[in-house]
Amino acid sequence: MSSQQQTFSLWQQTSLITSTLIGVGVLTLPRTTSAILYEAGWMSPLFGSIVAFVSVWMIAKLSQHFPGMTFIEYSTIVWGAKKNSRMGKWLSLPWIILYLGFMYLSTAIVSRIFGEVVVTSVLLDTPLEVIIITMFLLAFILSLHDLEVVARINELLLPMILFPLLFIAFASFQKAEWNNLLPLFRASGSSLIKGAYEAIYSFSGYEIMLIFFAYAHENQSKVRAGFYGIAMGMFVYTLIVVAGIVVFGYEELQRVAWPTLELVKTTQVPGLILERLESAFLAVWVTAVFTTVANAYYAVVYGLRQLFNRGLGFQRLISAIMFIPLYYIALWPQNIVEMFRASSYLGIYSLILNLGIPALYLTMLFFRGVGRKQKERNADG
Amino acid sequence: MAKGWLRMAIVCLCASLLTGCWDRRELEERTSVLAIAIDMAEGQKDLYRLTVQIPIPIKIAGSSGQGGGGNADAVKIMSVTGRTILDANNNLQLRLNQKLFLGHTRVLAVSEEVAKKGISDIMDSFRREPQIRRLMWPIVVKGEAATLLKIKPQLAQIPVVFLMDLIENGVKMGAIPDQTLGDYFNQTSNKSMQPFLNYVQASATEVRWRGVAVFREHKMVGTLNDVQSWSLLQLRNEDRGGDVVIPLPNTDNGYVTFRPHFVKTRLELTEKSKGGNKNNEAFAAMFYCELQGDIVEVTANTKVSPEKFIQDMQRLIKKEMEERAKKLFYQLQKEDNSDILKLGLALRAHHYRDYWEKHDWHKDFKNFPIGVDYTIKVRRLGMEMQ
Repeated sequence: MSSQQQTFSLWQQTSLITSTLIGVGVLTLPRTTSAILYEAGWMSPLFGSIVAFVSVWMIAKLSQHFPGMTFIEYSTIVWGAKKNSRMGKWLSLPWIILYLGFMYLSTAIVSRIFGEVVVTSVLLDTPLEVIIITMFLLAFILSLHDLEVVARINELLLPMILFPLLFIAFASFQKAEWNNLLPLFRASGSSLIKGAYEAIYSFSGYEIMLIFFAYAHENQSKVRAGFYGIAMGMFVYTLIVVAGIVVFGYEELQRVAWPTLELVKTTQVPGLILERLESAFLAVWVTAVFTTVANAYYAVVYGLRQLFNRGLGFQRLISAIMFIPLYYIALWPQNIVEMFRASSYLGIYSLILNLGIPALYLTMLFFRGVGRKQKERNADG
Repeated sequence: MAKGWLRMAIVCLCASLLTGCWDRRELEERTSVLAIAIDMAEGQKDLYRLTVQIPIPIKIAGSSGQGGGGNADAVKIMSVTGRTILDANNNLQLRLNQKLFLGHTRVLAVSEEVAKKGISDIMDSFRREPQIRRLMWPIVVKGEAATLLKIKPQLAQIPVVFLMDLIENGVKMGAIPDQTLGDYFNQTSNKSMQPFLNYVQASATEVRWRGVAVFREHKMVGTLNDVQSWSLLQLRNEDRGGDVVIPLPNTDNGYVTFRPHFVKTRLELTEKSKGGNKNNEAFAAMFYCELQGDIVEVTANTKVSPEKFIQDMQRLIKKEMEERAKKLFYQLQKEDNSDILKLGLALRAHHYRDYWEKHDWHKDFKNFPIGVDYTIKVRRLGMEMQ
């Protein structure tokens, strides 16, 4: 059990969550949120984060019942009777497939959106396929390594993701028109829910913790890590949406495909040190997408490895094989409109999955009282 | 050992394949366009004439090679026609040896004729093109737009650089609005305000800033002269505008010049219910503008004590500024019917339910009561004591 000895510190778990959820969503978030809530678009990441908080709390609680076990491993215990572990395995299979399938699809869509941005804005003549394959190669290289590496990579890259975003948001305030944020609220209550829903998909990504929470250093730090991670994401998202609205106004936001990128384009660094920020921003943003794609893909591959009870060699093999269908899924949407539609379907999927699975499992635990026994046994041993 | 070689091979392979040079284009393989001018083609309806200014690197002084000759043209001007902007662009490409590159374009000059016809169709391609910067300056040119590119300013080698410096310097001094393409986009999208652009006039050797061109829904509807534009800048952007020259009363041919240094503007929206008539609650806008500045020129002796002089001047300047502002409001409301004061934005922001929802701002702006109250604070008298 070599993997059991590797543990993640609180900060490592937090950075895993934050860097996974900050990805492609940040480029479109100002547009999608203000489409429904107009000037009040910035409320939508705040309300959307409530769902994420609830969900990550449930995931952490679930994981606390089974310290050192991943979603794949404890699913068998939750669903199976003590004597008949075979039944547990079969009963848990649909949920595991649902979960791994979502991660797999979102890896594909995220890399597609990433490729689309790069192709439309900087590398105009490069085929989309090349960019997607390059991103896959990066994720593949990560999946060759053990969990420890994943945690460290995220820990290392998180500041590189956060600081440019914060810098862009604050630097763009010099062109701000604060009246654009008012009236404070004019949409109806139901549109607030719809608006919050728009933001939810940008928060998805923390569900990788169904697997990675297993290796938390302390069992008690999981909830805290989840909260810190989501809170950081919420702060960055809200700030970016506010910046988008005060600089462009919500009407203009509806017209631009990648609002945050346009925000970078309109932002001038005082002193003319860097006149065209967008290339530099995109270069840094690659790391943000990389952590999203690679973490999700790693979770898929690691989950498969545990499902089949194999070692690192199997993980390496399967990660190479799994890329082939992934490539075709990524190229499935034929144009940018279809791509955004696919991404919004995934948003519904993520909402159902992230709330549904942990809630279902916790109810199962509650009725069967399995968790408590499991905990005692672990404490003894 | 074999493993080591394998690793080396992989590293070399990655290093050569992953360098990101798929669509590499060196600097000299591009034709950078510094400025674009758009006119209507003469004699042909529905055709645009696009004129571009392309710098010739070898002729620019200070660069290596033969060095720039002082009188040699450092830029090449080319004109093409087309049905749309991109059509013209493509026609231009047919005459060029390298690929057109719009990433360095800083000025987009539009002729008054085109601007009056409406420029939404022109702007579309600029919105979609990723190379275009939102920080570039669209400018309306009196007469033919191409003259702006053809000027020989002598003070700078490249005409567009001269023009850019002129605007940049004006922006720094607070006398010229910093109206970029991005601002124009935002203002045209926003339902509560109208856009405006800088308005210039060009001759063979010179270019002169003439004020701003007022737009309504992508169509130019009028112009403000420099004095009116400065009032606009003070009320809208809190920029200081230009010097105020006023004839001195009770002197023959005496003038006083006031130079504002700090501007503070506050917009107050008030609700006045007219005597019992509840249905017709009237809103009014009031600009409170405080100018702090110096007296920099007095050409006649006023023969009054310094205390009285300052008070007289403050009264005089206040009267003048308020008159100018009123003229500005009259022009914007009655003649152009275009809200470039950001009044609609403030109304929507602060009186959404009680005003904005019930009124159509596009019709209402014309008769909306706007007042102005200047507070002038003369701080210094220059190096003189009086």
